[in-house]
Amino acid sequence: MAAADSPSDALRRRDLCSRGIRLAGKMRSDVVDLLDTYVERQGLDASASVAAVEGVPAAATEHWDEQTGTQRLLENLAAYRAFRTLLAQMLEDQQEQLGEADAALGQALAAVLLQVSAFAYHLEELLRLESLGPPSEEAAGPTSLSDLSLFERKLRGLGVLRELAQWAVRSARDLRQLTKPSPGTSLAPSPAESP
Amino acid sequence: KNLKCVTHNLRKMICTWDVSSKRRHGQTDFCYTTSNLPSPVCFKTKEEKVEIPVPDSSSMVTITTSSIVGTAFATKEFEIHKKDISFAPLTPHILSLTPDFSTSTLNLKWSDNGSVFPNGLDAFWQIQILRKEAMEKVAQVTYYSKLTHEDIILSWNWTSDMPLECTSHYVKIRCYINVTQFVGPKDWSDWSPVEEVPGKDTEPNGSGVFPQDTVVAVGSDVTICCVHEEGQQIERMTYGSEVYPMIRLSSRSSAIRVLNASASDTSGTNVVCRLSEYVLDGTVLFVGYAPDTPEDLICETSNFLIIKCTWKPGRPSGLYGKRRTKYSLFERISGKNVSCAVNEMNRERVCGFPVLADQKTYHFTLGVSNPIGQTESSLLVDLTQRVHPKTPEKLTISGNSSTSVRLHWFINGSFAEIRLLCQIEISSGHLEQKMHNVSMPGGKFSIYTAQLNTLHPYTKYQFRVRCSAADHFWRWSDWSRIEEHTTLEA
Repeated sequence: MAAADSPSDALRRRDLCSRGIRLAGKMRSDVVDLLDTYVERQGLDASASVAAVEGVPAAATEHWDEQTGTQRLLENLAAYRAFRTLLAQMLEDQQEQLGEADAALGQALAAVLLQVSAFAYHLEELLRLESLGPPSEEAAGPTSLSDLSLFERKLRGLGVLRELAQWAVRSARDLRQLTKPSPGTSLAPSPAESP
Repeated sequence: KNLKCVTHNLRKMICTWDVSSKRRHGQTDFCYTTSNLPSPVCFKTKEEKVEIPVPDSSSMVTITTSSIVGTAFATKEFEIHKKDISFAPLTPHILSLTPDFSTSTLNLKWSDNGSVFPNGLDAFWQIQILRKEAMEKVAQVTYYSKLTHEDIILSWNWTSDMPLECTSHYVKIRCYINVTQFVGPKDWSDWSPVEEVPGKDTEPNGSGVFPQDTVVAVGSDVTICCVHEEGQQIERMTYGSEVYPMIRLSSRSSAIRVLNASASDTSGTNVVCRLSEYVLDGTVLFVGYAPDTPEDLICETSNFLIIKCTWKPGRPSGLYGKRRTKYSLFERISGKNVSCAVNEMNRERVCGFPVLADQKTYHFTLGVSNPIGQTESSLLVDLTQRVHPKTPEKLTISGNSSTSVRLHWFINGSFAEIRLLCQIEISSGHLEQKMHNVSMPGGKFSIYTAQLNTLHPYTKYQFRVRCSAADHFWRWSDWSRIEEHTTLEA
């Protein structure tokens, strides 16, 4: 962390981290459920391998151990902002393709989108504590879906949800990492931490 | 020897012959004469072919072949009778072969070259469609036309049983003209040069699964192909969850054939082409039904502001979202058209149309369409005969008498053009239930009043009211809420 925390900041950060860890846990289980629904409703093969989705930062990172708290928050925020846009795109496309025919999938998608938006806001809150403040959103929008065939969109959606499930796991680990004591900003992990 | 003459236009003929002599010959002197020529016409040629007029009855031909240095070494005379001359039209010329990929249709245009022939002759055009690398014949059709002594551009469509992207399609055409008055043998023309519509399997970046995201009717037989890069191998192609046998079209394209396709799920049936573990390509096929003709189309108004049409949609189409069945209401007299917002998951079908000023009769056509088909249903209706008022509201009872009361109620709507008939139900615990009918002029968002007499003193009554059109009864409104009232003591 940049400068020594005041006790209230430290308390606020620990609270945000532990709530964030719970939110990430909930999000992960919802995304896993959504994945099952998505695969089944889109008639996909659950084992289908999908290429990396453009615009989605990969959850797996080689230098996880060496990352600073700020780097973790910034990477998380970039990812969840990307997911927010991608899920909104998926929801809009689902509405156009299926109308009211698959309300269950639409509602599940909307619920996860809500959680992703909430988590992004959460991360912004944490970054504000850094007195660094969250970066402004990038203007570049995602790939236009109209360039993709329906099958490509289905696979892409699968890729987005799989990656989101990975990120939910990583985010919980990142936030746990933030609550670990480190020189100058020792924050004892609070009991309600694990999801 | 073997002198043969062919005419392509009934006026000129091309004669060819063989030269049997082993000696090398230089040129030929060709002479011909007919009954209406004063003297023979002669000319020299280096080929064994000349073009001369078609005789009215016969021609005498003399062919003299000479050596390179010009010394004649063979002369032969022939008589060519009209019956010996054969007729074959000129090779037809394809003007254009245009693909419509969205419908897998080829449009062929060619000129019938009719100006060459007398008017009214029957012409037969044999069209061959070939496909794949091996140019296998997939269809041969005979198209008929009548010549009009003008050059007419003929047009013909052919719909392929597989997407045109899958592999190259080729077309060639030949012609036979039934020249009834021509006595010699008649034959087909030569085949035209082949015209090609290249498939995606000939394009560098043509990979993909075709047709892309298309809609077909339940029961259709569908061919779906996977076009891939040179050297790639298709591991398998699945339709839904089922692996299908593949048909090789070319080195870069294979297809599967789905017979009698059944209705797909809401998100369509995936057709997946698995090239290797990490390379999947695919398309989505939507299999549904054309819309049924709407039944029990009913249009009525509850307020003379909006006409509400309802109908029974028939079998669900199985198509959703942007492929769903769409409805529109067209009113012929005013020419006004309204598109209907219909929730495909909701069985009830309703569409609203504005009541138009000074128009009593409406001729509605409910248009129904989806990507598979369209249909319509019509209805002519006199609006004053289709009044179904809304439920009477704010029923209140007043009266300070022991045997009579006054009822007041409000109906939301504008009924100034008609009379209303209202029915008041009078109930009282131990007394027999009675119905009292009263008719009154309709009003505009009005409160209506009716008086009931001959009631019993000091008796608790329950009243409710419903209304309809008085002159042309159509439907009662729903009953209003019940209002209680006790008459005064006598």
